[in-house]
Amino acid sequence: MRRADPGAQANRDIFMAERPLSPHIGIWKWGPHMFVSIFHRITGDGMAFVGVPVLLWWLAALASGPDAYATFAHQASSWYGIVVLVAISFGFFNHLVSGLRYFVLDIGAGFELAENKTWSIAVPVIGTLLTAAFWAAIVYL
Amino acid sequence: MDNSLTPPALDKGTPLARARGLGAAHEGTADWTIQRVTAMGNVVLMSWFVASLLQIPRLDYGSLHDWLDGLFPASAMIMLIVNVFWHARNGLQIMFDDYVDEKGNWFAVTALFNLLFAGAAVFGIVAVLKIALGVPA
Repeated sequence: MRRADPGAQANRDIFMAERPLSPHIGIWKWGPHMFVSIFHRITGDGMAFVGVPVLLWWLAALASGPDAYATFAHQASSWYGIVVLVAISFGFFNHLVSGLRYFVLDIGAGFELAENKTWSIAVPVIGTLLTAAFWAAIVYL
Repeated sequence: MDNSLTPPALDKGTPLARARGLGAAHEGTADWTIQRVTAMGNVVLMSWFVASLLQIPRLDYGSLHDWLDGLFPASAMIMLIVNVFWHARNGLQIMFDDYVDEKGNWFAVTALFNLLFAGAAVFGIVAVLKIALGVPA
């Protein structure tokens, strides 16, 4: 008969604790490919925490009438509001370009060292340019 | 056969020993696939959203309300909320799966943000419906 054995779990914990860990982030020399990987996660999760509430506030203000929208617009056009909106857009465009890079990697392309490095550097550059172009269009068009 | 004769040691293999020889699971890629499919939808819907923001001459209440109460923009915004929030929920789940090791904490944080995202999606959709179905301002 098999029963849950608390001792077995303890043995397993000890067994796992004594095993050598696989090489982790600490031993690698940092490269652009590592940066775009973690930056994709930071921009994505950052937008989930900050972008989603701002989008909801904006929609709720639009749904609640001119006075509610004036309150939103007043905060959004303050210096800290602009910092938050620029940060969200910067996160969005970088996550977008980085995500398109993942589509290419998903079909098995772009893993050659030189090519991989080139696009890993290009992703944040294109993301930054798109952010600048977006705000230039908002302000000047 | 009397199971009690089975030496206990045979039941206590290492995780590797118990998994060896079983082959592929043929499951477990759902998160990965959903993240790619919602990403494709996000590219389309967010491109529409950014293009719309750039196309609206003045980003004031009247212009934005007039834009979003249209049939197409309201439908697209509701699709955007569903698709983007689903993608965001998945991304957060992957992050918590990776970094929250303790099972109780993982369950608490998973339950909390899933309920929050469900509520947030409903709130956003009702806001769009209120704009689209309300009396024109």
